Amino acid sequence: MSNWPNTADVVVIGGGVAGLSTAMQLAMRDCRVVVLERQQLGNGSSGRAAGLLGQLRGTAESTRMLMDGVNIVRELEGQAGVEIFVQTGSLRIADTLARAQEIKDLVEMGKSIGFEIDHMAIDDVARSLPYMKTDGLVDACYCPTDGHLQPAELVAAYLHVGRERGVHCESQCPVEEILVADNRVGGVKTQRGTIAAPVVVNAAGPWSYLVAGLTQTPLQTAALGHVYLTTRPDPERPIDPRSPAIRDRQLRLYARPETGGLIVGMYAEETTLFDMQSLPSGFDMSAMKVRRDDLQVARLIDAVHQRYPWIDERTPMTMTTGIMTFTPDGKPLCGKLPDIDGLFYCSGFCGHGIVQSPTIGVIMADLILAGQTDYDIGAIEADRFWDLPGFQERDRIGRLCDQMHASYYGKIEGQQGAQTG
Amino acid sequence: MKILVPCKRVPDADQKIEVHPDGSAIISAHLPFLLNPFDAIAVEEAVRIREQRDGETEILAVTIGEEVCQDELRTALAMGADRALLVVCLQPPDPWNVARILRAVTQREQPDLVLMGKQAVDDDSNQVGQFLAALLDWPQATFASRLNFVDNGLRVARETDAGLETVTVSLPAVVTTDLRLNEPRYASLTSILKARKQSIDQFCLADLAVELEPRLEIRHLETTASARSCQWVTSAAELVDRLRRETH
Amino acid sequence: MKCLVVAEHDGATVRAGSLAALGFAADVAAQTGGSTTWLILGHELNDVSQHAARYAAVLAGDHPLLAAPTADRYAAVIDDQTRRGEFDLVVAAASTFAKDVVGRAGGLLGGAMASDVVAHRWENDRLVMQRPMYAGAVLATVVLSGSPQIVTVRPTAYAAPQPRTEPAEIATVGIDAETLPQHIEWLELETRPTHRPDVSEAQIVVSGGRAIRDRDDFERLIGGLADALGGATGSSRALVDAGITPNEFQVGQTGKIVAPELYCAVGISGAVQHLAGMKNSKMIVAINQDADAPIFEVADYGLVGDVYQVVPELIQRLKDEPDRHHPPPES
Repeated sequence: MSNWPNTADVVVIGGGVAGLSTAMQLAMRDCRVVVLERQQLGNGSSGRAAGLLGQLRGTAESTRMLMDGVNIVRELEGQAGVEIFVQTGSLRIADTLARAQEIKDLVEMGKSIGFEIDHMAIDDVARSLPYMKTDGLVDACYCPTDGHLQPAELVAAYLHVGRERGVHCESQCPVEEILVADNRVGGVKTQRGTIAAPVVVNAAGPWSYLVAGLTQTPLQTAALGHVYLTTRPDPERPIDPRSPAIRDRQLRLYARPETGGLIVGMYAEETTLFDMQSLPSGFDMSAMKVRRDDLQVARLIDAVHQRYPWIDERTPMTMTTGIMTFTPDGKPLCGKLPDIDGLFYCSGFCGHGIVQSPTIGVIMADLILAGQTDYDIGAIEADRFWDLPGFQERDRIGRLCDQMHASYYGKIEGQQGAQTG
Repeated sequence: MKILVPCKRVPDADQKIEVHPDGSAIISAHLPFLLNPFDAIAVEEAVRIREQRDGETEILAVTIGEEVCQDELRTALAMGADRALLVVCLQPPDPWNVARILRAVTQREQPDLVLMGKQAVDDDSNQVGQFLAALLDWPQATFASRLNFVDNGLRVARETDAGLETVTVSLPAVVTTDLRLNEPRYASLTSILKARKQSIDQFCLADLAVELEPRLEIRHLETTASARSCQWVTSAAELVDRLRRETH
Repeated sequence: MKCLVVAEHDGATVRAGSLAALGFAADVAAQTGGSTTWLILGHELNDVSQHAARYAAVLAGDHPLLAAPTADRYAAVIDDQTRRGEFDLVVAAASTFAKDVVGRAGGLLGGAMASDVVAHRWENDRLVMQRPMYAGAVLATVVLSGSPQIVTVRPTAYAAPQPRTEPAEIATVGIDAETLPQHIEWLELETRPTHRPDVSEAQIVVSGGRAIRDRDDFERLIGGLADALGGATGSSRALVDAGITPNEFQVGQTGKIVAPELYCAVGISGAVQHLAGMKNSKMIVAINQDADAPIFEVADYGLVGDVYQVVPELIQRLKDEPDRHHPPPES
């Protein structure tokens, strides 16, 4: 279809949303970008994501990033002619006093920065979500501007707009080597050939720590298993495709409507740590399956049944399982590390890559082309663990990421705590 | 009512299957393994039969292979099988010998019904159910998409190339399951934990007085054309021409 | 080898798949100095026997008890005739009929059986065959021990032999109703509605995507192409969400996962979520306006064009050559 690009301004490793958004933003600033994808574009975590967008986060800056992302998506929708953002609104529910306090704090914080959010009466919750159990709820809050991004459409739009601006993509093309001379990156080597480039971006998601390993660089990410269910549409129990997304932190659940059914997923206390090195070379995340006796699935169904009593082990449904990239503090790693010039990182989105990707692309393009960005990226800078003792060995990184994942919904948040989800 | 459900441990055939360079076997290290999907349907159907019959039904899951195959027996137990039995066999037997081993198990256990997948998604042979029925001189109903108990046995709707065929078989019988028979459940937390503790009976071939009689020898394996490459056609006429050549 | 080919028929003619099986048997017979003989079972077999005799000698087992293809009776007759005629090789087309009936006969005849054979050669006095495993991802080279050997072949892999100049002999085989097993009572066959099959079981699937603008267009273009090919209709999630197609049409991660012989993706860009539901199809044809659409990465044949122009022309051309397209038998 296309000729092999021998040179590029920037090579992006990884054709998921992080890499494609970065590539698109770079191309919009006249860079010649090549994206290399080990499998198929949009496969990997991007292809398995549910895409929930909750814009209100623990800090004003992270909230701003997500709100800006929505604007970028709105523009993309116009350019690509598809609906990406489905604005269903979102609800957070509490059935304990501690969780109610979380909601109270969240509403106060949101209002203080002018974000549209308010408490919602339990009766109103019950009316808007007739398929959800609301007995025992103490409080709820509603953000009308939230919803979800459709992952497939987002990938297609990044590709469409990026290609129009000259982004060149090679799929089924894993990177074998990152070329480095005098601590400067010089390009990459693949089975199909070499590409000389002064800038290389590691946006390889769960594989990013292996890609970092090509230059003996420790990267503080770990690959963790995740699973959500999608119920099959049932005429007896219609799910309004515009009903709000739900976050139930006590049960560790999130939910949203999907094509007549309901997606419900869980940030469980226990998950699977994947050794990406040991997966078969042809590993295809889009074909991942769960066993009928998978413990993670059983825990998910058990929790889901408490909130949606009509869903149990026998409900006709699809299980979607995939691999997320976690970091020790739940924030992504974006930018450069001190060891090699020209080598950038864009990984570790902890299950929130879809919704963070629009703005992350802008930030990466800022950092690559200008060396700085208007966003305050202190919390997500790639070098924050660089020479921290205890963050260098793989086993330890894995444990830390696993602990972070376990506390993701589980921990009760104070007013100062990080809001996630 | 006693139902025997043969279960097979298979690699997930939706992942890319690769073969050792010498063609001797697939590279199974790191491949995910599962209970054969058609067998899961058989287990599910057996459990539904038991639910309908107020628990007077016993479900026995059996597999043939190495110790590791207990994992899939535990899947069957977690889904609702009552007992499980492993016939230890270090070499994977061919369909004829699987059928002979199952015949020995059947003679020992005396089930009223053998309910099993129409094929395993590793070798795709689609033979064992038919062989077993022949060896036992039992009626068979292959490719079942609906089962109903009737006075004189089982009424089975069968998925055939010609359409949906309905037959009645007397019991005991061998029934093999097709995709649309049911949608298997996931196991609940409590049943998974219970299944982990359940003991699994083990037999060796000598216990069953079976000596293997090899019939099908696999000499070599190779992967088929790996990556597809798109051949471009420029008109509807050309596409029709290519389709015609490919399908004939 | 002395080959017995179990014919599948509709009462009038032998099915094309069985002729392909005869083609395989004829080649084995030619290489080994053997012969081919049909075994036709059923009731009122005059017409089909005459048709079959144009290709090879016929053994016809004609009896009211054989009117319907019950596995126990058919297998018993195949077993009996194979032993009496001292056949070395029993062959049939890989179809649900043969898997059921010939599979059972294989169990009576000692279990030396290979299914779905797609290639063969005669080597050191052994019949060496190739058959797919792992849903076609792997091709296995196999040999059978013991006699007779029982083989089902994929009809798409073999051609029918040329008809003979003179019809061959038709012999009737005796059927002893007393000894025929009667474990299975055949009740009815509900032939598929002439309308389209279900997407999860069809051998040919035509799926539409975002390029299709409304229900009428879907029916006219996707439905029309599916009918011209004798297949089922499917769709991407986008059309389900848009209310253009019903939920049960959805192919993909959260819909149906299909692997038909032929999958035509029409106006589908090929998001991974869709590919997950169809990329193991045997042959994939993609029609899309965007030459960069990811669907082409998994396609065997690609046509870049406006589906509103290309598809009507495809339908017309397929209708002009009606005999050339029918679904291959189940494999």
